[in-house]
Amino acid sequence: MNALMVKGLIFAAILIGATFYVVNSMHIDLSDPINLITMIGAIAIAVLTVGVSIKYINQMKSDTASGELAEEKWDGIGEYKNELPSGWAFSFLGTIIWAFWYWTIGYPVNSFSQIGQWNEEVKAFNKKFENKYKNPDKATLTAMGESIFLVQCAPCHGNTGDGLSGKAHDFVDGRISKKQVLAVIKNGSNQLGYPMGAMPPMMATGKDAEEIATYVAGGLKGKQPAAFGVCAGCHGADGKGMNGMAANIADYDDTLITHVIKNGKHGAIGTMPAFHDRMTPVQIKALSTYIQTLRGE
Amino acid sequence: MFHWLEKNPFFFAVGVFLVIAFAGLVEILPNFAEASRPVTGLRPYTVLELAGKEVYKKDNCIACHSQLIRPFKSETDRYGEYSLSGEYAYDRPFLWGSKRTGPDLHRVGNYRTTEWHENHMWQPNSVVPGSIMPAYKHQFTNVADIETAYAEAVTVKNIFKTPYGDDIKAGKKAWEAYRPKVLAEARKIASQMKNKDVKDMVKAGKVPEVVALIAYLNSLGAKRYNAKK
Repeated sequence: MNALMVKGLIFAAILIGATFYVVNSMHIDLSDPINLITMIGAIAIAVLTVGVSIKYINQMKSDTASGELAEEKWDGIGEYKNELPSGWAFSFLGTIIWAFWYWTIGYPVNSFSQIGQWNEEVKAFNKKFENKYKNPDKATLTAMGESIFLVQCAPCHGNTGDGLSGKAHDFVDGRISKKQVLAVIKNGSNQLGYPMGAMPPMMATGKDAEEIATYVAGGLKGKQPAAFGVCAGCHGADGKGMNGMAANIADYDDTLITHVIKNGKHGAIGTMPAFHDRMTPVQIKALSTYIQTLRGE
Repeated sequence: MFHWLEKNPFFFAVGVFLVIAFAGLVEILPNFAEASRPVTGLRPYTVLELAGKEVYKKDNCIACHSQLIRPFKSETDRYGEYSLSGEYAYDRPFLWGSKRTGPDLHRVGNYRTTEWHENHMWQPNSVVPGSIMPAYKHQFTNVADIETAYAEAVTVKNIFKTPYGDDIKAGKKAWEAYRPKVLAEARKIASQMKNKDVKDMVKAGKVPEVVALIAYLNSLGAKRYNAKK
């Protein structure tokens, strides 16, 4: 055993020791196979590095050049013949021949299309989705709706649907706030594409508007103010929108949520873009089911 | 077997040149194809959006955000329609990026709003809990360089024939005449924002970086297609 070998072994031991030190001091959990494999890998790299280095350092000390000289020389400097192994050479020639086939026949006749692959992927998924969710029950829809909500809606409405302290519509605390009702009365609305058409601005003013807003924001409970008659003409006496003719101002329902997702909305709080091209009808139904579960009493 | 190649260095050099030239052609020629011309109805960036694009580059958004939606279902579900090469025709340079620490932004204008971006640039985790994106509060006070953005528009119009209107042309006078249009666009965005400094600056005729950046982010997606609404 020479001095180099001793130094190498000491160096490898230091590296392995350092690995164990790091594993210990960082409290790494070795019962997790990923961590264990990583640690074994680190030790293997340390051993191999030292071993291979020692081999080549020794070889450099003792090796001499040998072989058959090739005939060509440049300025008196020659080189040994070092032929490519014939197996490699034939594979190389084979790939050249294959390339001609690929350019002329292989690719043009049977070309790969990324977009074609995407079309197939989406088609297969949609088919599977339709089969799986032909008649989803409420629990399935709620679970699906929650996952959609967390991806598509949560960035503005918050993970719990509370509207992130006034940044977006609050689904938890009542159907609609007083501020929002007043804004709609003041500005009218023609965004959601209900059969009843545009709601004109200033249908009620002053004290009437205040009373309506308090009543609607309070969930249409208690004594109905006389001024609500003007709203009832389209939204119905119960505020439920007369079976989808106008917006339901009492509760969330599938019609309301479908309309908002399809058209987007600009209201007292801000602007919501349309999301309809990002969801299938089943997904919109699921989202609507989920949103209806958010409202606390 | 291939030893004879090495005996003739000139022949070998020519061979190497041919192989590399072929590889170059395969890479370069497709860029002239029909598919990389502007897609139908695509409009170039407005001057304010160009200024925003400069902010995007300057604050190095590209380090964490890509602008290229690949044709995989998992991506089109999350980010929208896959990207086409013709959509980048007016991007000089395109900002595809190569790393997604944050989400892809190529269609962010379709599903985020000015209000959202304002909250997000001021304090990212106020809208995205657990977000590791840093706040970019300096964008609310720094002034965006709309004059250079105008110069960029003039340059790409003259050199690459980017279809800008006749009102974008070289010269101080033309810029003075065009400036109010940029400010009007900035005012429209600032009117949807809540930050008081931003509103004051826009009122004083200056464009804060965040306004330009939001104009640019809103333009990513359907808003740059005249054909669609």
